[in-house]
Amino acid sequence: MQKVRFVATTLSWTLRAGCVAHFLHEYVYEFTETRGESMLPTLQAQHDYVHALKGYRYGRNLDIGDCIVATKPSEPTQRVCKRITGMPGDIVLVDPSSSSPLTNTPNEVILHDGFNKYIKVPDGHVWVTGDNLCHSLDSRSYSSLPMALIKGKIVAANSMDKGFIDAAGRLRFWNFRWITNTFEND
Amino acid sequence: MSAAVHIKTILATLTWVPVIYTFTEHVYQPYFITGRSMTPAFNPGTSTMTNDITMVQKFGLKSPDSLHRGDVILFRSPLSPEKILTKRVIAVGGDTVACTHKYPKPTARVPRNHLWVEGDNEFHSIDSNNFGPISQGLVVGKVVNVIWPPSRMGADFSGGGRNALVE
Repeated sequence: MQKVRFVATTLSWTLRAGCVAHFLHEYVYEFTETRGESMLPTLQAQHDYVHALKGYRYGRNLDIGDCIVATKPSEPTQRVCKRITGMPGDIVLVDPSSSSPLTNTPNEVILHDGFNKYIKVPDGHVWVTGDNLCHSLDSRSYSSLPMALIKGKIVAANSMDKGFIDAAGRLRFWNFRWITNTFEND
Repeated sequence: MSAAVHIKTILATLTWVPVIYTFTEHVYQPYFITGRSMTPAFNPGTSTMTNDITMVQKFGLKSPDSLHRGDVILFRSPLSPEKILTKRVIAVGGDTVACTHKYPKPTARVPRNHLWVEGDNEFHSIDSNNFGPISQGLVVGKVVNVIWPPSRMGADFSGGGRNALVE
């Protein structure tokens, strides 16, 4: 009898602790791995982990230039990490590279009309792009992202393949660095 | 009983709050339906004027084949992220729908992992005809049952919504 009671108590406390952890994970803070070339050079393609603050979910208090983690609109089971490059009401040039003579045939350059295609970001949406524009699937293909899909703001990152000391000999745990807003208004 | 025992009981009760939260977030949640965009399937206003409380399923809604035409879903509004809307799924990814006059084009193709949603009541509804197809990532729940008021318990809400598919 005592044994059953002990097992039940242990399970009950495990459940409660797990749910507290889940709550914090959802609403306060998350530390998670990211992969892919789309955010180079801000984030490495491998071995990088990011610190995300979840108070910024649903786009609360976010601004142009912030790094975010969001659900991918075309694939809800996946998440993406991008930078906001347009706020609601902004007029954005969709993709000038679609008319670049370097990567397109002369016919496509005219057909895509990339230098004249603008979009006004609707209410409740943001325009997001990866820092590595050549290898990023972002608003240029799935259009503006509903803010409700935003999970949090990325404020810092670690590279787990680095040691405790960086190249300059300073103490940096796994290359810890803050991720800042790089937007400059000119 | 001493004060210390009371405090201990209160704290022990509070530790269950995150458990309840996790359950309502990921398993089932009762949900109060407001507004008349889904009348008469919900809030018919005939036998009683109270709003319907429904049971909403929260799990297994992310995969492309988890939602079907006719399902009533809860989702975050694409136009204002803090608002949750209740609408009926009219078409799923790959379908082509005939839009109402509010939409700039006569027909629309629904992209993969997106849904075309409409209120049953065209004139009191802000839906896909205003903001286009929505990503399935915005879906927060699927209505499975009416649980309140008692006279409407288990009411059938499967009928409703127009057939807007274009072959």
